[in-house]
Amino acid sequence: MSQILVAEDDQHILRVISLWLSRQGHDVLEAPNGLAAWKLAQEHRPAIIITDINMPGMDGLELLDKIHEHEHKPRGIVVLTNRWDHREIGQKLAERGVWVVPKPFSPKKLSSMIEELDKHTTAPTT
Amino acid sequence: MNKGQEFNLVQTLIGQCSGASDSRLGVVGPTVEPPMPPAACLRTCLKGDSARIGVDGCTWLRGMASGSFNATALMEGACPRGFEAAARVVRLKGGTGYLLSVSDASRTPDPAESADSALERIDRASRAIETTARLLDENEGLADEVLRSYEQLNLIFDFTQQIASLINTKEIVHALLSRLGETLSANTVLVVNSAGLYRAYDVPNRIWVSDGDLSLLSTDLIDEIEAVRKSRQISVVSSPAARIALGPLSRLDNKTDVVLAIRLQHQDEFTSGDTLMIESILSFGGQIIVNSEIHGRLRRMSIESTRALVAAIDKKDHYTSGHSERVGYLARLVGRRLGLAQNELQILEMSGLLHDVGKIGIPENILCKPGKLTSEEYDIIKKHPRMGYEILKPIASFGEILDGVQYHHENPDGSGYPDGLAGPDIPLFARIIHVVDVFDALTTTRSYRVAFSIDQAREILLKESGEKLDEEVVRIFLTLLLELCEERPEAFAHIFSETSEAAHVET
Repeated sequence: MSQILVAEDDQHILRVISLWLSRQGHDVLEAPNGLAAWKLAQEHRPAIIITDINMPGMDGLELLDKIHEHEHKPRGIVVLTNRWDHREIGQKLAERGVWVVPKPFSPKKLSSMIEELDKHTTAPTT
Repeated sequence: MNKGQEFNLVQTLIGQCSGASDSRLGVVGPTVEPPMPPAACLRTCLKGDSARIGVDGCTWLRGMASGSFNATALMEGACPRGFEAAARVVRLKGGTGYLLSVSDASRTPDPAESADSALERIDRASRAIETTARLLDENEGLADEVLRSYEQLNLIFDFTQQIASLINTKEIVHALLSRLGETLSANTVLVVNSAGLYRAYDVPNRIWVSDGDLSLLSTDLIDEIEAVRKSRQISVVSSPAARIALGPLSRLDNKTDVVLAIRLQHQDEFTSGDTLMIESILSFGGQIIVNSEIHGRLRRMSIESTRALVAAIDKKDHYTSGHSERVGYLARLVGRRLGLAQNELQILEMSGLLHDVGKIGIPENILCKPGKLTSEEYDIIKKHPRMGYEILKPIASFGEILDGVQYHHENPDGSGYPDGLAGPDIPLFARIIHVVDVFDALTTTRSYRVAFSIDQAREILLKESGEKLDEEVVRIFLTLLLELCEERPEAFAHIFSETSEAAHVET
């Protein structure tokens, strides 16, 4: 089971994801925006990062850039997108080796993604 | 919340509830089996103050544990003089805990007051613990609910996206049930129609496998299926080999199919969350499916009505009977070879079927004249494409087929009618219909001449290609013709018969 950082500005969705992941045995770090997520990422170097895109201050895409520049790379990154942005952004993100999941996400799909990430070190092509 | 988390929570709350410095509040929960004996509890709880509670305190706790569990009690006589102790047993998920409060009575002027404080302190703490534990549990329950809704929403989103391109009702049913099976982690999904026939979907391998009828299933299951069909309510049954959830799926004409989601014995039971999901997905899906069936039925009615109308018009001239059907058929073949989409092919076929509708306005003496037409008579015949357009224009749903009807006598070199359009200005469907119309006319006997043979027709098409007929369409049609000659479909039997060249004109 891994340490997972979750960045999401909607506090309720953040809580739901966090509770669900802890119940599956993961150690969850919660961040309400990009900046907080970046700080936690630097400090704890989580294995997996799950992030929303639209967040106040630093958004998900900026966060991805910062992580990309950092020398520690998480085992996997999952980006939660709007259904409407999904097609546009989804392709671009997948090219960067990032998993993309449209909201509301399917808990089953997210679960199996995390299982995959727990096993492998390479990010897949979606 | 698991046992460890619960215990940590309680410790935290205790820390917050401990008030005055003259008292201690502690709790010990049995995180190991067997639970800690009261004496050890006291020591752990009070950490150093255990000397203040003697053996009598242990007796107290033992008594409490076996007696009234929810009462907070002053442990009278449990402490040395100067101290008051109160205790309460707290039931946690992780086991039994003891809330203990010890206060230094000597520091407080009013003994009664200090006793109340100890009791109050414990009551406050236990209330806080119970409320928080309950809220956390509720939170988890609510989160579960939210996640279940997410799963359901995903299913609906994906399903509606998938069926956007499907017209066929059977495909829509398949799409719905395969997604449902996957979301439920079922092993198999069955759908039984009102005639007692079923199809089965193998979920792990993602394929539709067997077909069968009810006689292949157990009697109990058959009864349950019929019960669900009647009641239209979800039902869950268990057998030695499987767990089965059954639900109704609405079909046209008030019929009901029954869907079975089957899990193997070693898989989890169907929870109420699962059955709720099945119910709402089938209800939603049923509406979509009935709509699709209505749509299909209307489309068939429309096509069949059109065919009947067209056949009637064709029969005005004995020799043109079946002509429009054949033109529609051939046009569709050409369209398919050109790679047109399913809906475009339908429009093309309809266009071909209706291309000569305007002939209804042509007097029979001209239409069926055995000899050559005068130029006035020919001018009247040339009106039929525009007339067809005028007849069909008011029918809004026929909008897209109008081009084929109106322009099927235009020529690439601009010498056609009614408008003298040239080359690419002529709509594609019109160009296609022109070629196949000419071919069919050449290969059938008419009032004014005998039928040509296939080879003769082929030569004529080639000769006219480029000027009077679209070159590309002719090329494609002639390759199709070879295949047609091999297949020899029924409707074209007349062109393959040996006697077509020497056809006797009947009057």
